[in-house]
Amino acid sequence: MANTHHIRVRLNGVEKEADVEARLLLIHFIRDVAGQTGTHLGCDTTSCGACTVLLDGQPIKSCTFFAVQADGREILTVEGLVNGGKLHPLQEGFHQEHGLQCGFCTPGMLMSSLALLERNPNPTEEEIRWGISGNLCRCTGYQNIVKAVQHAAAKMHEGVPA
Amino acid sequence: MAVRIEKTFAVGDPIDKVWELLSDPRKVVSCLPGAKILEAVDDQTFKGAISVKVGPSLTEYKGEVRIVRLDEQSHMLELDGKGQDVRGKGGASMKMTGTLEAIEGGGTRVTAVSEVNVVGILAQFGGRMLTDVSDVIFKQFTERFQEKLKCPEAEPQAAAGPVKAVRVVGSALGQSIRRAFGGPDES
Amino acid sequence: MNQPTSFEIGGMGHSVKRKEDGRFIQGKGNYVDDVHLPGMVFGQVVRSPYGHARIKSIRIDEAIKVPGALAVITGADLAAAGLAWMPTLFHDQQMVLATGKVLFQAQEVAFCVAEGQYAAADMAELVEVEYEELPVLVDPHKALDPGAPILREDRAEKSNHIFHWEVGDRAATQKEMQGSPVTAKVDAVFQRCHPAPLETCGCVADFNPVTSKLTIWLTSQAPHAHRTLFAIVGGIPEQNIRVISPDIGGGFGNKVPIYPGYVCAVVASLKLGRPVKWMETRSENLQSTGFARDYHMTAEIAAERDGTVKALRVKTLADHGAFNAAAQPSKFPAGLFSICTGSYDFPKAFCEVDGVYTNKAPGGIAYRCSFRVTEAAYLIERAMDVLAQQLKMDPAELRLKNFIPPDKFPYQSPLGWTYDSGDYPAAMNLALKMAGYEDLRKEQAEKRAKGELMGIGISSFTEVVGAGPGHTFDIAGIKMFDSCEIRIHPTGKAIARLGTKSQGQGHETTFPQIIAQELGIPQSDIVLEEGDTDTAPYGLGTYASRSTPVAGAATAMAARKIRDKARKIAAHLLEVSEEDLEWEPGKFFVKGVPSKAKTIQDIAFAAYTNLPAGMEPGLEAVNYYDPPNLTFPFGTYICVVDLDKGTGEIKVRRFIAVDDCGNIINPMIVEGQIHGGLTEGLAIALMQLISYDESGNVQGGNFMDYLVPTAVETPNWETGKTCTPSPHHPIGAKGVGESPNVGSPAAFVNAVVDALSHLGVTHIDMPITSWKVWQILQEKGIS
Repeated sequence: MANTHHIRVRLNGVEKEADVEARLLLIHFIRDVAGQTGTHLGCDTTSCGACTVLLDGQPIKSCTFFAVQADGREILTVEGLVNGGKLHPLQEGFHQEHGLQCGFCTPGMLMSSLALLERNPNPTEEEIRWGISGNLCRCTGYQNIVKAVQHAAAKMHEGVPA
Repeated sequence: MAVRIEKTFAVGDPIDKVWELLSDPRKVVSCLPGAKILEAVDDQTFKGAISVKVGPSLTEYKGEVRIVRLDEQSHMLELDGKGQDVRGKGGASMKMTGTLEAIEGGGTRVTAVSEVNVVGILAQFGGRMLTDVSDVIFKQFTERFQEKLKCPEAEPQAAAGPVKAVRVVGSALGQSIRRAFGGPDES
Repeated sequence: MNQPTSFEIGGMGHSVKRKEDGRFIQGKGNYVDDVHLPGMVFGQVVRSPYGHARIKSIRIDEAIKVPGALAVITGADLAAAGLAWMPTLFHDQQMVLATGKVLFQAQEVAFCVAEGQYAAADMAELVEVEYEELPVLVDPHKALDPGAPILREDRAEKSNHIFHWEVGDRAATQKEMQGSPVTAKVDAVFQRCHPAPLETCGCVADFNPVTSKLTIWLTSQAPHAHRTLFAIVGGIPEQNIRVISPDIGGGFGNKVPIYPGYVCAVVASLKLGRPVKWMETRSENLQSTGFARDYHMTAEIAAERDGTVKALRVKTLADHGAFNAAAQPSKFPAGLFSICTGSYDFPKAFCEVDGVYTNKAPGGIAYRCSFRVTEAAYLIERAMDVLAQQLKMDPAELRLKNFIPPDKFPYQSPLGWTYDSGDYPAAMNLALKMAGYEDLRKEQAEKRAKGELMGIGISSFTEVVGAGPGHTFDIAGIKMFDSCEIRIHPTGKAIARLGTKSQGQGHETTFPQIIAQELGIPQSDIVLEEGDTDTAPYGLGTYASRSTPVAGAATAMAARKIRDKARKIAAHLLEVSEEDLEWEPGKFFVKGVPSKAKTIQDIAFAAYTNLPAGMEPGLEAVNYYDPPNLTFPFGTYICVVDLDKGTGEIKVRRFIAVDDCGNIINPMIVEGQIHGGLTEGLAIALMQLISYDESGNVQGGNFMDYLVPTAVETPNWETGKTCTPSPHHPIGAKGVGESPNVGSPAAFVNAVVDALSHLGVTHIDMPITSWKVWQILQEKGIS
């Protein structure tokens, strides 16, 4: 049995422990060890962003990160967006604005958008386009994704005192 | 994917001494990092190997080196090398021409021109890196060549192990970045 | 017949939000790589680094020592089972695993199976293959030279020539060419590119040795056709094969062929009696799966001095790679390329295509091409612009002058097509209006005077989809009908299953809308399933924009069968004769007495509880639809670009897209399809290329080099529509998925060329990178 390391990762609010090889990529830990298959693999050169997750609140490409590096840290994936049975405003936005077609880029797109809105709650269209420029989509042409993010930004702004 | 590199450097030693080193294929090959001559097939042909590590990927090419031309009059050496990676990552071939020219003050100018052609995985990923990686390997060659001129009997440092192209890549990358930002080339 | 329906019913024309979204936005999709079965093992392909080489030996003894290693399959192993070669979808065969020699870099040579994914990769690194290099052929123009290496030793004819195909009147066209005062010519290469859906190809092959049943989860756009092919090629009884296409992360034609990895996974599963998963990496996807295009074309247009076109002559060299694996109808070696007369009324035309083999990956039909219609539309739209430039005529004016007039439909083209309907001037005029064309030309003139580079490009495409009528169309012998089966439950809800397979086109939402339109059952009460060959009726799948034209028709026809039965039940319930009844969506009522009515829900319940004497219970129908003709969507696109004089960078300022796809089921979904297709057109025109160097090394074989536009490069798309229904289609719809890929590359190219036309530029081959533009500017002394 190859040399393994014992790691403890907090995934979508739940502690997950496992013995993993040093070379196990974080995306494979999330998909295969933890069984959360919402995060997807779209390329092998860190180019497409389908694997984007939030690590301690920061968007990273989980295909270019080792599981052992996530030891003791917190990961948020698309499965962690639903809160108490309610869809996150971003999820609502993608549905309302037709921001997805095949759905394969959607989890990564949602995570990048979440990170964007958390650091910039009221982005311009240009800022949104730059904010999601690390996520490739083949189906939508991005126009409705931009609208989805704007939809979410507006919703998340509601109830925030001026 | 073909890459052509031309390097010129000057040494203080007289042309005959330099020719003695250049015309001995075993000695020349020992200056090439990661390369070794395994056996002589005949006077002109040698079986050899060279290993190159680019990042985590180790490629070992096994093949043949042939002396195409050895001209003492014009102080010119022409070598032809061809190898295949047995694990299926591809192959490489190289033509190298070395010429010597006596210069003012008793020294020698060494000009080495090599054409390297790579087929396979390295050629896909390495396309943009090939020139820079070859550059670095060649630079190491010229350093060892000069070392060997100084101490003909001593073995050059770390002769037989694979070129740790992590370092090669690091400095090749550094070279690219320097070039992109207008800095001086290290050649 | 289209009575408008309420929002609740949600029939034709309603922008119903998508039913499939729920699982995708929550990360609960079920793509092939999400499939985990007990005991599942993993496969990895060993690939050739050489473009052309003989295999001298394969050694697996190191590979088999990897902890977790289970098996290595080589070509020799497959040959023993008669499986080393398999038929392609187009009258050829291709190697599953190489025996004898390899014909392209990244070709499959061996298949390693291990307990874990990483172990399988470790194994692949340790398989030792010794090759003897052979001369490489990568230039299709050299394929037929006397000294060219002959690639295919397995063919009786020792030549790299695959086919010659021609259509039209060569002599009459030649006569026109010679007799006309003006001829314009363009050599246009449609470069090799790749559809690159975000999900790569793969499968889980699960052979159950107890039941002898083989279940294959497959990234397949055509699950039934694949099942039949696996049965015939693999010798497995078809009733024991179940193909399940679960959620597919984009297809674009990439998931129509059968790939060696699938066959190897099936063989491994049969051998080991365990589920075998094979998922390719992105690099493998770009380097070995079905590429698109690689057409080297010449078009000549003969015209009068006033711009009236007289004849079109086209000659094309098609680079098919190492095997002819073009996934297209069997009688069409160049697909539907002969649509190249486009939207224009050419009296005479002639078209010939020659296909050749090269040391490159096989394919050719992909990337929303409608079977080579992308190549054809690009060529004619470029050629018309070259003619306009030559005549110093406005390109919009030249097109309007030559459009097939609306009263000439159904239109017989000189290359054999019967266009069903079209109103090209309407689409053009709307696009010109949306663009503010006159003002744009004024602006261009002003900018040009100041030395700024602005271009306007037009593309007025006609394309042909909905393959196709049984008398002409089949794929590997199977006719290209499609199907829909609808079953209404006692409480008036329904389930429908189709022979198509969505990869993002929204079928779960749109096809219920057709049923809602026909039967008045709310679309939210209808569940739609596709992709499981054990339950769905046989169909040829989703590609070439055929789902709406063919399966959509089948859906309407099946729904109408149900309505016919419903009428009889209603008559029985209302105690009147059928002739006394009128229909409005959702109910039958007695003529003149609207209060005497039965809803479709009442009728559904009655179908199980209160039937007329002698009537079979239940309320369901199936229809297999053989379309009488193809359909001809069309449109006009206008692209506005600004070029940076210093860097050559191309900025797409505006893009106006007017599409006519006949009657629209769901406008929101159609618009989404247009956005996506235009973005792919942008990628093709300005960014994408898969090329091979002289040693056969593929360039553009990963996402660092093969570029996909991000949200930053992609502009906002301005969409508009006209509506010219298809006269032969039950719901008047034409299909639209590929139109944006068909029409847009020429719009982008025409715009960039237009920006530089005053400098004498008449054509630039794609991809038009800023590097190419910069070189031209340098050449012309502009900076």
